[in-house]
Amino acid sequence: MKQYDVVVIGSGASGGAVAHTLTKAGYKVAVVEKGRLIKREEFTKDELAYCRRDIVTPNLFEEYHVIEEKVDGKWEGTPTYDSGWSFWNGNVVGGSSNFMSGMLHRMHPDDFRLKSKYGAIKGANVVDWPISYDEMEPYYLKAEELVGISGKYEKHPYEPPRSTADFTQPPTQENAVVKLLDKSCAELNIKSLVTPRSVLSQNKGHRKACYYSNFCGSYGCSSGAKGSSREALLMPALASGNLTLLSNTYVKSLHTSKKEAVDYAVVVDVLTGKEKQLYADLFVVAAQAHESARLLLNSASEFHPNGLANSSGELGKNLIFSAGGSGQGELHADKLKEIRFEELMQTGLFVNRSILDWYFIDHWWDGTFKGGSVEFMFEHQNIISRARKNSEENGQLVWGKALGEKLTERFTKQKSIRFEIFNDWLPNDNCFVSLDKTHKDKYGMPVGRLRVEAHPQDLKVGKYIAEKCEKVLEEMGAQNIYSSVSSSPPQNLIAGGCRFGDDPKTSVLNRYCQAHDVPNLFVADASFMPTGGSVPYTWTIYANAFRVADHIVKVLKEKQI
Amino acid sequence: MKRRNFLLLGSMLGMTHYLHAKPSSSFERSFKKVEATLRAVQEHMFPQGSKIPSAQSMHTIQFLFDTVSHETYDKDIRKFVIEGAEELQRREKGKFLSMNTQEKEEALRTYEKTRYGSNWLSRIMTLTMEGLFSDPIYGSNKKEAGWKALNAYGGVPRPRTKYIAL
Repeated sequence: MKQYDVVVIGSGASGGAVAHTLTKAGYKVAVVEKGRLIKREEFTKDELAYCRRDIVTPNLFEEYHVIEEKVDGKWEGTPTYDSGWSFWNGNVVGGSSNFMSGMLHRMHPDDFRLKSKYGAIKGANVVDWPISYDEMEPYYLKAEELVGISGKYEKHPYEPPRSTADFTQPPTQENAVVKLLDKSCAELNIKSLVTPRSVLSQNKGHRKACYYSNFCGSYGCSSGAKGSSREALLMPALASGNLTLLSNTYVKSLHTSKKEAVDYAVVVDVLTGKEKQLYADLFVVAAQAHESARLLLNSASEFHPNGLANSSGELGKNLIFSAGGSGQGELHADKLKEIRFEELMQTGLFVNRSILDWYFIDHWWDGTFKGGSVEFMFEHQNIISRARKNSEENGQLVWGKALGEKLTERFTKQKSIRFEIFNDWLPNDNCFVSLDKTHKDKYGMPVGRLRVEAHPQDLKVGKYIAEKCEKVLEEMGAQNIYSSVSSSPPQNLIAGGCRFGDDPKTSVLNRYCQAHDVPNLFVADASFMPTGGSVPYTWTIYANAFRVADHIVKVLKEKQI
Repeated sequence: MKRRNFLLLGSMLGMTHYLHAKPSSSFERSFKKVEATLRAVQEHMFPQGSKIPSAQSMHTIQFLFDTVSHETYDKDIRKFVIEGAEELQRREKGKFLSMNTQEKEEALRTYEKTRYGSNWLSRIMTLTMEGLFSDPIYGSNKKEAGWKALNAYGGVPRPRTKYIAL
């Protein structure tokens, strides 16, 4: 009956890390991916296709979510085909790691023990992680070297410790604006740090160094420099001969014929509609947090009536996003300091600057609380979206010759610098995923219903940091500075829903992300995170999946299942 | 060859005329009835003599048609594009096309004051800008004129097929 040693559901960062480790260890693995394979040579910088159409995500009329928000004190669910607010993030081989900007950080050791450090917060379900930073560190390093994260270590009180002196790849090339940014930060007594980026600055094996295309985030990489799961992990895993890549394959549910084990996955070929079963010794779910919880909920059986591996009742609960916001200001040709306008307008080079000074706040006046991190970047260089954003004024469209004046001024006489804030989205009772009772996707499976309320503390922290960032832009001489911190969740930064922990009564997964209830079931994506840290999740997702994969190898070797 | 690939290739190879000889779909018939109005709105928004290329010289009406008639395009928006133009014709009692520039400006600004009209004009603006500033392969950024006007260019590799080969 058995076709594979392990079936991995999802081919993004975590699925790739698990597949890479297991295939290198000699196990036969199938990676199941709903989307299709787009190869490196097929990716282009087509703004219309990649950024304005559903080319790499499902059509929302066929597959969607229902998002619950509080309206006038009542929870109201809106299907995303109505709102257009898609919660899909790159449903192709390699998942959303194909399309990331790749600004990554490790979580801080204190992020693993947030409750111990700051105590309970009213209305938030903060708990310590069952593991420490020290247990994760070797895997952060593995991700850094294998996925290829370039950077430059600089000492900073809130920079997590590392077991090697520096990154193996130097930072990617930088726009001259960093001179102005660094100087402005120094004036304000703020330390600007080089951003670690999962983009290669030098060739690495089959992958070529970054060619500075000017269109990185939201696009697939055409040199292989970006550390996507597809380039960095699945390609080498395929080369091992042990990986079967089942693209265009949707997993409906996991089947259990006894309480302790999944015996097969029920899958559909999305091109033919044909259904089949995939048998394996062990199953790894890595479908992105909200979809992983949904799959387990959709896998309820007589042995698991409330959803697979849900004896705790915690499945789908404590979903988290990344809180924070963003802001920007315009650097005008006639008021530019420190650098020449031509240097500023040079395209393709990165800004590569982060601020960690406000990661932990301990101030005589402001108080003591967990803060967040900041990334600086240029406004996304997409031409259509930039033009469209600048075609409105005072609630009216600008058209005619006035539009021509406005756009040419905007594009040729100035450039916008932007910041993004990442702070903890505190887990709470009103942020979770469940199954919608009426809505089904085109395969007949109930869709995920996401309630997405943020804790008030998230907004307070975001605004605190945004004010400081605006001062940096002011010091740089930027004009028309604004920022926006809202409680609206960023749908591309999602975690939680299958908490890990040592107590089966309060967590879905154990410390190795193995289901407490079902030993041959693991969840390898960001679902395990009880708290999310104040940095983008991706490095931690890669690192944790490598850690989980090492444990799976041990389980398989010792035939523990 | 799949029908869609044939159509896309056809438009690149200048076979549009032949393709237009094919029997009209119901959408194409509805489109024909409002085509002149849509064209006039685009030309009013993107006139000649501006610092960015005009709708007329870039033939943005063709891009708009190709886009909204594409099978992957949102079917509700496809309908909305037609109905919004019909509504404009109705509001102006069929005289919109014969108006001078000032009259068109007044008619469109009045239409914009309604929520429906504002949404529709926004959509036409978007559909026109998508043509002017997308890759020239889509047909309305001829010789990169839109990109040249803004001194902003799409990245490489450039698309070799529309919407990547589906």
